[in-house]
Amino acid sequence: MNNGDLTTLTIVVGILHSGIRLATPYLYAAIGEMFSQRSGVLNLGVDGIMLMGAFFGFFTVFKTGSLLLGVLAAALIGGLMGLILCVVSITYQAEQGISGIGLFMFGLGASSLLFKTMLGTVEGIQGFSELNFCLTDSFCLAEVPVIGDIFFHHSLMTYGAFALVPLAWWVLNKTTWGLKVRSVGQNPEAADSLGVNVIQVRYTAVTLGGVLAGIAGASLSISLLGIFQENLTNGMGFIAVALVYFGSWKPLGVLAGALLFSTVNALQLWVQVLNLNIPSDVAVMLPYLLTIIALALPFRRALQPAMLTKPFTRGEN
Amino acid sequence: MKNRWFLLSLLLIFGLVLASCGDSGSETPQTDTEETTPADTTETEPAEEAVVEEVEEEETAVEDIAAEADVTGIAQIRIAVVMPSTVTDLAWSQAVYDSLLRLQAEAGGPDVMEIAYTENMFNVTDAAAAMRDYAADGFNIVLAHGTQYGTSMFEIAPDFPETTFAWGTAVDTGAEQGLTNVFAYEARAEEGGYVNGVLAANLSTSGVIGVVGPVEAGDAKLYIDGFVAGAMAANPDIQVNVSYTGSFGDTALAAEAANTQIAAGADVLTGSAQQVVGAIGVAAEQGVPWLGTQSDQSPIAPDVVVASQLYNWDGVLSDIIRKHQAGEYGGTAYALTLGNSGLVMDYADGLDGEAVAAAMVAANDIIAGAIDVNAIIAGEAPAAADAGDEEMMIEYPEIEPVRIALVMPSTTTDLAWSQSIYDSLVILQNHYGEENFEIAYTENMFNVTDAAAAIRDYAADGYDLVIAHGAQYGTSLFELAPDFPETSFAWGTTTNTGADEGVTNVFAYEPRAEQGGYVSGVVATYLTESGIIGLVGPVDAGDAKLHVDGFLAGVRDTNPDIQVNVSFTGSFGDTALAAEAANTQIAAGADVLTGSSQQVVGAIGVASENGVPWLGIQADQSPAGADVVVVTVLYDWVPTLLEMITANQAGEYGGRVLQLTLENGGQTMIYADSLPAEAVEAGMAAEQAIIDGAIEIVAEPRN
Repeated sequence: MNNGDLTTLTIVVGILHSGIRLATPYLYAAIGEMFSQRSGVLNLGVDGIMLMGAFFGFFTVFKTGSLLLGVLAAALIGGLMGLILCVVSITYQAEQGISGIGLFMFGLGASSLLFKTMLGTVEGIQGFSELNFCLTDSFCLAEVPVIGDIFFHHSLMTYGAFALVPLAWWVLNKTTWGLKVRSVGQNPEAADSLGVNVIQVRYTAVTLGGVLAGIAGASLSISLLGIFQENLTNGMGFIAVALVYFGSWKPLGVLAGALLFSTVNALQLWVQVLNLNIPSDVAVMLPYLLTIIALALPFRRALQPAMLTKPFTRGEN
Repeated sequence: MKNRWFLLSLLLIFGLVLASCGDSGSETPQTDTEETTPADTTETEPAEEAVVEEVEEEETAVEDIAAEADVTGIAQIRIAVVMPSTVTDLAWSQAVYDSLLRLQAEAGGPDVMEIAYTENMFNVTDAAAAMRDYAADGFNIVLAHGTQYGTSMFEIAPDFPETTFAWGTAVDTGAEQGLTNVFAYEARAEEGGYVNGVLAANLSTSGVIGVVGPVEAGDAKLYIDGFVAGAMAANPDIQVNVSYTGSFGDTALAAEAANTQIAAGADVLTGSAQQVVGAIGVAAEQGVPWLGTQSDQSPIAPDVVVASQLYNWDGVLSDIIRKHQAGEYGGTAYALTLGNSGLVMDYADGLDGEAVAAAMVAANDIIAGAIDVNAIIAGEAPAAADAGDEEMMIEYPEIEPVRIALVMPSTTTDLAWSQSIYDSLVILQNHYGEENFEIAYTENMFNVTDAAAAIRDYAADGYDLVIAHGAQYGTSLFELAPDFPETSFAWGTTTNTGADEGVTNVFAYEPRAEQGGYVSGVVATYLTESGIIGLVGPVDAGDAKLHVDGFLAGVRDTNPDIQVNVSFTGSFGDTALAAEAANTQIAAGADVLTGSSQQVVGAIGVASENGVPWLGIQADQSPAGADVVVVTVLYDWVPTLLEMITANQAGEYGGRVLQLTLENGGQTMIYADSLPAEAVEAGMAAEQAIIDGAIEIVAEPRN
């Protein structure tokens, strides 16, 4: 069999288009997790928060038809889940690796239970649709060859995810709050001595991370897929945590990681469709292989926030 | 720390939200839209049947009276009604109130006929108080407009011997208890229900009709039983999904039920009780025709309410009034029927003429006695030549009580592998009853060690049959099976019962997915215009591999020029990646898609968005995209499960290899109505050829 009809251009466009779209949930979740980790708190519960966000977002849209309300509901539940982690990990100083896993399992179980009792079966909704960027009645950016196909065939949620990257960079590097987040993750004692409320800053950073993880879930259920299914995320949240390490705790790094991961994923799908002489198992391994290689690069470690996973108690040390 | 209280209260709120969500969840209507056949609905009938027969004599007496509602020249009278909902409910209560208003106008206005009413008397004690107040206040006739008011009314009636009481839906006038001042009335809702059913079956193109009922009792039950009987009579193949909300007034839930019905493929809806306004709203939004009952519901949505069975109480009420004024305070049971014009069928203009004609014929047959709706419901008269024959083909052997445990890699709602066997277990449980057929299950056992622990626990707990529903569980199963020699184990997809290792209590099962896959492949060749078909698989192994092999062979044998692009996601549950794989396939030119495992709901969503036909396998995936799922290879585990159960109970604990094939009914092909006829013919021919052994499915090596 051959794919003579397919030009190289079609394939490249297809891969890039898919890669951008697939990056959406990873970006929301990983940028959120980045804030959390920069403040010194490791949140391994991202996947559970995403599931709750996906369910509440979907259910709200399913009931009300309002996409905006769906996003708000997902953000709200995500924030609440983030707050739970704050109480457990910051106030009560529980081991962060373990409490995060607990939160994940809670989210997995609760979203499944809610799905079973409130929906019972997989339902579909009309989620965010693709924007076409019509400047005039007859001219739409989406119709521009190549560029339009790659960049202007996405939903609002996808553009939101990419807009988040420069916004996160600005917040982290150019605002007072961003400076506080960085300082409580690097040297909380010093920050504390300068009058920064370490606990409060960590609370807000982790809660913000939760809000974004909730929205990440909603981007799956009400934008990319238009459905909710049990365990919809299938471990995406953990990939997002890995992407933060991959991206060296920087928004642009996270962006690069998310795009790389999702583009390679899109590439492997095309590899299979093109019937290239490569076993499907190898294709499927590609993105993970690449992630592991990138994570193993030695220079990254040094950039880790010094106080990541270390609880803060005033007056110690 | 101030923060702590704030946080605690937030947590509390969160908990409450969850808890209340859970509550409302338990109220969620039965979304288990079962296929209701006339035989199903008659289980509790005999007792009611007897009562209904008694009334039949009365009914003939009522016939003339009801037709001529005449209250001109009556003496002054005061009538009070106690009702469970409101006079504007567009249903049960409004029907009687509207009749009273008509009679009042005819009689000469409020001066001659005074009407008082109390609404929303869902609390029976309050209703009793209201009835007593009205009677004490000197009202001549007190209507207790609900079955639930009967007991209290029988207590009150003797205290006011010159006041007439009337109640319904009921046939009991209390004569046996010595009461002389109680009338009973009922609407023979099953008659109009039957006519609506005939109409619905003629209007439906999808072959699925949805019913949104309140509770399975009284007037609603009569209506729905009649409706199902009528629909089945008009088209034995029709599927009527009935869902009860468990409430008369939960509009939101009724709307939800309507949404669910539409999602399940219904293209005609009906329902009863005041809650249905919610359902009608949904019908209007989706442009689905609605058949009403009780009161005229067209004000909500004139475009979709295409027919109504209207209750006209004029005749009954005027007769009660006349009898009362002649000194006869009770003793008669009335029934509204099509024959006495107590029930009136109203069809909207512009409705399909053929359908209306069929409905009118049915109505005339009922009036003439040629159709006895109750006999059909009771299963005494044939509804149609061979309604439900297909259902009866499964022979259920007598079995001893059995306990079955199922360990599965995904969930009972995965629309795929796990759900297919769970659904079959539930079918068996519904047949044998929960006390004789216990099901326990553990979901999401992607970790084999956890699964092994669960399997061992079930065996130790005394389950008769423990099913390890995944090829990955085999090794652990063979290790622990010898410890429980009198427990049957089963696993699949495999043909290995462990006999070589001396294991005697393990069944192996294998859906011959290549058969259904082959038929799907044949059908798919008729659907593609681009000549490219996309296949989204999980991993190239087990059940999925068989499906892919068969599908490719089916396409190749039918039209070798068609190209099938196969992509595996590497995961069973990565819904997002499956969606992206489907997008990629479409971008690469595919205009027909197929695939397997629970991840495909993502791919079906994409197919649905792009209007690309989808060929499904394992479970019925139409909930994820009713409009695009054109072919389903449905796994029916009932015969396989029954074989294992009967073998187990005969002392044969394992050793058999069971296959689900087209021939033994383990696989069933479902073709959507939207398919071109030649595609369906080719599919059916391929099915027959596989069953006859005329086709050998040859898998070619792949990468």
